[in-house]
Amino acid sequence: MKIKLTVNGLVYEHETAEHTTLLRFLREDLGLTGTKEGCGMGECGACTVILNGHAVNSCMVLAAEVDGAVINTIEGESTGPSLSDIQKAFEANHAVQCGFCTPGMVMSVKELLAGNKQPSVEEVKDAIEGNFCRCTGYTQIIEAVMDLTGRPGAKGELEHV
Amino acid sequence: MIYEFRYLAPKTASELVAILDGNKADGKILAGGTDLIPNIRNGLQKPRLVIDIKKYAGADKLAFGSDGLTMGPAVTINDILRSRDARERFPVLCECAHELASHQIRNRATVAGNVVNASPCSDMAPALLCLGASAVLRSASGERVVPFAKFFAGVKKTVLSPGEFLERIIVPASAAGATGRYLKLKRIAGHDLGIVGVLMTRAGGALRFAVSSAAPTPVLVESVTLKDSPDEAASKVLAAVSPISDVRGTKEYREHMIGVYVRRLLAEVK
Repeated sequence: MKIKLTVNGLVYEHETAEHTTLLRFLREDLGLTGTKEGCGMGECGACTVILNGHAVNSCMVLAAEVDGAVINTIEGESTGPSLSDIQKAFEANHAVQCGFCTPGMVMSVKELLAGNKQPSVEEVKDAIEGNFCRCTGYTQIIEAVMDLTGRPGAKGELEHV
Repeated sequence: MIYEFRYLAPKTASELVAILDGNKADGKILAGGTDLIPNIRNGLQKPRLVIDIKKYAGADKLAFGSDGLTMGPAVTINDILRSRDARERFPVLCECAHELASHQIRNRATVAGNVVNASPCSDMAPALLCLGASAVLRSASGERVVPFAKFFAGVKKTVLSPGEFLERIIVPASAAGATGRYLKLKRIAGHDLGIVGVLMTRAGGALRFAVSSAAPTPVLVESVTLKDSPDEAASKVLAAVSPISDVRGTKEYREHMIGVYVRRLLAEVK
């Protein structure tokens, strides 16, 4: 079947099999391999993309379902060589180690910040609860968001292990 | 996915009814997909036809009227959390919705899918049971209304017949204003399936309990009153459930924790 959708501001019209997931479609049909497959079952959040403004696990969405949708992936973050503000904050705060969770983590944070400019630590934790990171222990990721959004007194909310 | 199926997205409710009627044996309804798609991937379900229920006009209806709160089959868990009607009139729905899985799954998973899936650990079922909500089921032969107290038929089983679908959920206006708290025991702080979950609601002087992950279906207990001692309340709730031992916990642990939660919830309102 043919689907038409907007990914990172570009309109694509593409043939896809009816049983293809959005994740496979992005990676294999459009070549956007920034979005990762971890568990393939909605547990890990590595495949998180923004679908019509909401973060979703792209491994559990069919490409056929997103005909007409607007999607944002990690590839839409940087402009040429310059990183987005979220990416810069992740880099500055050592919120990336192996990097496999990062594309999904950045998408979850992007959805959070679209509706909440100065989230609390608890709100950041809620937003990324569906994203597993096995390297950082999450603290640096939360610090990156707090650093970027600059909530007054936010440093005191963080618990360092 | 390696397994191949066909996909249809009916544009009207009557088209959906006709497709379901013609594909009773091997058609499967797709709502949020957070259970169906992993199940297909893992070979647990093999539908020949996947029928998307989210695309027909009105499927995403979420509105409060004289009947109460009406939810179409495409209403997601986060739609509930974002709905002012739900937050202000039915805070119990939000209390349970917030405990369901992770943020990404709540953006996709539907309330209707959560109950039609009929998992014993359904998080929305306790709220719908305590609020006295009903399911409107529709098929080629017409509509019928089933209260959620009679909707679940066993583990992953409901009273839905082949060719029938849950067209809307109605939470009665008379239940507006009920307050409650849902305590869900999980292995990790973030998203997880429950080991046990206990919801207690209060409307005026009347208490209701609903328990998840403790019997083949979610269980409603209406016999506890404010006059009961914590131990009496716990034994009434425990008499209504039949937890099993599985990978997430033992029968004894579940029974113990249901008692702990019932006592804790009752202490909060006494």
